[in-house]
Amino acid sequence: MSDDRRMLTEVATGLFRDLCTPEDVVAAEATGWSGRLWDALTEAGFPLVSVPEAAGGSGGDVADACALLTVAGRFAAPVPLAETGLLAGWALAAAGLELPGGPLSVAVGRPDDVAELTGRRFSARLSRVPWGGRSTRVVALAESGGQRFVVAAPIDAATVTPGRNLAAEPRDTLVWDDVELADADIAPAPDGVDTAALRLRGALARTAQIAGALARVTELTVRYTGERQQFGRPVARFQAVQAHLVTIAEEAQLAGLAAQVAALNARPDPAFDDVAAAKAAAGEAATVAARAAHQAHGAIGMTKEYELGQLTRRLWSWRDEFGGERYWSRELGRRLAAEGADALWPHISRGLVA
Amino acid sequence: MQFAPTVLSPAEEALRAEVRAFLATELPPDHRPALGFAGRHDPEFSRTLAKRGWVGMAIPPEYGGHGRSAVDRFVVAEELLAAGAPIGAHFVADRQTAPALLHFGTEEQRRRFLPGIAAGEVYFSLGMSEPDSGSDLASVRTRATRVEGGWTVTGTKVWTSEAHNNHYFAVLCRTSPMEEGNKHAGLSQLIVDLHADGVRISPIPYLDGSHHFNEVALEDVFVPDHMVLGELGSGWKQVTSELAYERSGPDRWLSTFPVLRAWLRERGPAVSGEEAAVLGRLAARARAIRHLSLSVARALDAGEAPAVEAALVKEVGTRFEQDLVEALREAAESEPDQGSDSLFQALLAEAVLTSPSYTLRGGTTEILRSVAAKGLAA
Repeated sequence: MSDDRRMLTEVATGLFRDLCTPEDVVAAEATGWSGRLWDALTEAGFPLVSVPEAAGGSGGDVADACALLTVAGRFAAPVPLAETGLLAGWALAAAGLELPGGPLSVAVGRPDDVAELTGRRFSARLSRVPWGGRSTRVVALAESGGQRFVVAAPIDAATVTPGRNLAAEPRDTLVWDDVELADADIAPAPDGVDTAALRLRGALARTAQIAGALARVTELTVRYTGERQQFGRPVARFQAVQAHLVTIAEEAQLAGLAAQVAALNARPDPAFDDVAAAKAAAGEAATVAARAAHQAHGAIGMTKEYELGQLTRRLWSWRDEFGGERYWSRELGRRLAAEGADALWPHISRGLVA
Repeated sequence: MQFAPTVLSPAEEALRAEVRAFLATELPPDHRPALGFAGRHDPEFSRTLAKRGWVGMAIPPEYGGHGRSAVDRFVVAEELLAAGAPIGAHFVADRQTAPALLHFGTEEQRRRFLPGIAAGEVYFSLGMSEPDSGSDLASVRTRATRVEGGWTVTGTKVWTSEAHNNHYFAVLCRTSPMEEGNKHAGLSQLIVDLHADGVRISPIPYLDGSHHFNEVALEDVFVPDHMVLGELGSGWKQVTSELAYERSGPDRWLSTFPVLRAWLRERGPAVSGEEAAVLGRLAARARAIRHLSLSVARALDAGEAPAVEAALVKEVGTRFEQDLVEALREAAESEPDQGSDSLFQALLAEAVLTSPSYTLRGGTTEILRSVAAKGLAA
């Protein structure tokens, strides 16, 4: 890790440690959001890391943003950190639109989503938008006259139907019914700003968050099984429990390194091969490690106040968001099959790129 | 514990390209790939490889080797294994015996054995397991008795891979009786010539019908003093440290990769969604494990001792080697057949029959989990 990125990680860790305790995360479930944390993150410029300074962002690259997201994942942070900068902020900056203040969200084009633009009139139905109702704007792609546009749709003109993921993070359905937008809210989408690119960024973001959460799950499980005594000794002394610990550590390290390589190789944008492989591997890691962690914890892990559940409920959500293991495995597999047997090993052995 | 991402330098990438080009000309397009490091014993291939400088890479030039880094070795090994090259003759001597000789051997032993290993001409087996001693190495019963000028060794070693083709093996044995409360003391490693008087090698048929395993019976085999490897009584420490750092290389996650490539070659590009998902999942997992394995090699070059990390990589890597076989078997919906005309089917059959060994050899999964769990708690 570069010195700058290490410093960023340290500063962010301190901030989350103070403002995003397990108690804060539980408290935020009522509203799906921590305003106090968001304000502090905004003060530090973190939500807009990776958005160019010239466009009103905080600068830095995709790997910096992912380093922050890994910390956020570790603390189960109930805020749209990924959505604001790495996704919405990127699309707005690329399209030359101004960055509105406040939290932003994004619609990556789910199969059942509709978004249409007629002149400046906008109609859309977008489902499971992260923190949709909490955002000031939602960035969506809309077709008009055979052309694709980036739209920064204002939430105050939308009908919001609240929804949530397994961790009670808001995943709202938003409807705009023939709403007139301002000129400043619409711009032609440049090449490379499309649903595939947004989904790739979303998948990379969730991979980084999964990596952070898994690192914390490892620590919690090592600590708990070292302290918890049964049959006169710490349960970590039992081989069957040790097997769980090793599984969790392996999956956490595997997902963590895959996430880092995908983030570091994003220069400037995330690459399909890296992200598809990393999200597929991280999704599987989330599944396997969460199961092992709950097994090692026993009943305490099933209580809502205990920190483990805050993390595993997010793992169970994040593994499916922006494409689950099956989706990314299939997409990657299709591409590998098309490239043929001789290209398979060169693909697998392409790691971090200089 | 920290696995750091690492990038291959231009020189390391150039080495990869060189090995790839070599393999493209050396292995005929229709060659039957070997599965893993123990897949095929081919002294001629080992010598050819050695002439290119790709055997004995960790051995310093003064002993006939090449003084290359762990990452250079990693790159060469992964290219060879991915291609299914027949590296079985030299691989164990190169991976395991050479580092032990460098760490613990006398100057005389190094001069005697290392140049031959680096030339791809001197092959070693491992002499640890016995009929009553598997993971619990301290329980070995093979005994060495002091005699004029050396030792006589008596006992039986089993599961000795390729003993019938190799030249020597490093025998773990008792050189003094077991002490109460310190069962690891009194063990030593002796280098035994597999052709010496009193050595009787008999095949133990392998699960796939091949001759791979042997029983090696030792009856009053004379071993001169200068063939004691390392210090008398330090055998346990030596074999366990030997295991630690040689655990996590590409030989621990690539053994069955040739099956996947053969499947894709025969299946062609028009895969179903289900098949694509299997292929993509395996590729994604292989990539991720490779990142971990390469990271350990880089850490070794930095002078670190990543024993826990290495154990984790071996544990997860060897399970992946097995998962790959089962995933392809299900995807192909066929009945594996060693005699099939289809390369994929024949390799799949071989893999089904041999893959249980991956999570046993070089430290069983259960032992590795204990090692790793202790490290995690520390």
